Amino acid sequence: MTVSALVLSLLLSFSGMSALALSLDRHHRAVFRTPVSRRRLSGLRAAGWSGLGLSCAAAIASAGWSFGPVQWIGSLTGSALAVVALIAYRPIALRAAALAALPLATLMLPFALMR
Amino acid sequence: MSRPRSVRQSMAWLHTWSGLVVGWVLFAIFVTGTASYYRPEISHWMRPELSAAKPDPAAAATRAGAFLQRTMPDAAGWSIKLPNAENPAVEVYWWRSFSGPFHHALLDPASGERAAVRDTQGGDFLYRFHYELSLPPLLGRWIVSACAMILLIALISGIVTHRRIFADFFTFRRDRSAQRGWLDAHNVMGVLALPFHLMIVYTGLVTLSAMLMPWAVQTAYRGDILRYYADAGIMIAGRPPAGRPGAALPLGEIVSRAMAAAGESPELVMITHPGDAVATVTAYFEEPPGLAHLHPQIAYDATTGVELGRVGEAGAATRTGAVMVGLHEAHFAAAPLRLVFFLCGLMGAATVATGLVLWTVARAPKNAAPEGLGLRLVRILNLGTIAGLPAGLAAYFLANRLLPVALDARAEWEVGAFFGIWVLAAAASALYPRPKAWSVALTVPALAFLAIPISDALTVGELRFLGFDLAMAVLGLLLLLAARLAGRRAAMRQPSRANLHRAAEA
Repeated sequence: MTVSALVLSLLLSFSGMSALALSLDRHHRAVFRTPVSRRRLSGLRAAGWSGLGLSCAAAIASAGWSFGPVQWIGSLTGSALAVVALIAYRPIALRAAALAALPLATLMLPFALMR
Repeated sequence: MSRPRSVRQSMAWLHTWSGLVVGWVLFAIFVTGTASYYRPEISHWMRPELSAAKPDPAAAATRAGAFLQRTMPDAAGWSIKLPNAENPAVEVYWWRSFSGPFHHALLDPASGERAAVRDTQGGDFLYRFHYELSLPPLLGRWIVSACAMILLIALISGIVTHRRIFADFFTFRRDRSAQRGWLDAHNVMGVLALPFHLMIVYTGLVTLSAMLMPWAVQTAYRGDILRYYADAGIMIAGRPPAGRPGAALPLGEIVSRAMAAAGESPELVMITHPGDAVATVTAYFEEPPGLAHLHPQIAYDATTGVELGRVGEAGAATRTGAVMVGLHEAHFAAAPLRLVFFLCGLMGAATVATGLVLWTVARAPKNAAPEGLGLRLVRILNLGTIAGLPAGLAAYFLANRLLPVALDARAEWEVGAFFGIWVLAAAASALYPRPKAWSVALTVPALAFLAIPISDALTVGELRFLGFDLAMAVLGLLLLLAARLAGRRAAMRQPSRANLHRAAEA
């Protein structure tokens, strides 16, 4: 149960962090070869912050108010490190990985909330 | 150094030099401290003779009490760490006065005699090293505290210096100049784990706060530290000895009462003034789930077995301190979260290491010009610490498996292997020519870490150590990867230097 809770917040913050990274022009160019448009920018930002927010909510719902925040901050560090590694070594894979994390997170949800 | 102009520039200056001065010690503290997240696992691996049988804590307490009665009946105190599933041995300490010396033995829970186990300090050595540096305890703690204080300065000045924390949040440019790559790596490691870094250095200082700032308690309690502990809800108030002997109950009887009262076996029992008519037995329990590092306690009269008191709800200040110590030690974290703490600790070590390397890369002579004395010194200390310490660590584990089991002063030999190989690796890499030094210096610990699972398989070969051996193999492979990357950088640099030579000659 603790594994699935941590994996869930990791997956959600990974998607969020990827969207936030893609909202930055330098990384958007590296992944899509085009500059980020204005509309896309606000969409990516909104998606990014909601990913981080959902990750926080998932951590607190599954691990409680004392461990939840600790687990959430840990998952932010871990997922951001994964995003940095992907951008540096496999930029093309970032979009697919960020999208694939969402159904996986949905799959994790019942396990994480089971106490 | 020209005079700093803006706030940002002076902060950059502060960050550079504060980080450099304590960087090598900080790297060692981060590495050994991070390893301490797995202190029980390391101790377990280093004492393979202890089996994982489920012992009876009450019977083990009675036997340990009999052992201590034979060894030092007139002690000021005994402490008995009871066996549990993770650590099946009974660990006893006894002392004549609170200023030490503290005697120590590992007992077999089934016989109550000294356990037939190889002599080793296990994970405790690395744990103590990370805040005492193997120096006299007070001196070591003051040095570590000073380094932690300077790290706090380096962190805050680093945040002020960093122009583009958010814009460069995900940036790691490995296709640009070496200096750019190292700066990006330093920033990424530092910024992404910043909450951890700030937490670990601040809470680390909190764990030593009673030593760093003792004046309030000294003034209010006039040196009666035990009364302060009782008032703060850290300990149960003690009783003065009667001065006449008393007949104590078997310890197992009191442990059984504590188990009935709390619903779980105590982790540790402490006996003050054993043999006296007013001896006290205090049972310490595992921390309840929560961030705070506070052990519930129940005190019993040793002769009658009557409950004397409990540690109640601690005050707000005690609880705040306990939460900080709890966050630092992460005892509350189950395996997955502990892995996250471990990775964050490694990122801390990597932040320090990349910062140290960056210092030399930024000052490297532009062409084949010889490096100055200061640069050479920093480069050699970098090599000796960043590549030498892992070599020493691997030697510590290898010595545990390869030294003869019955060797005299075996635990000291293991520690000797740690420091000896560290110094040797550092000296060897100092003598190595510059371009190849990093790849060679990193290959040595890589191979040593890869040798650990092999030596374990040949000497002990038990399935329950598979996880530890796999972790060692992964560390070895990561170091090998680092050695290859360093080798490739050196190879890339080589032709350009040859071209410069030719250009200079032409």
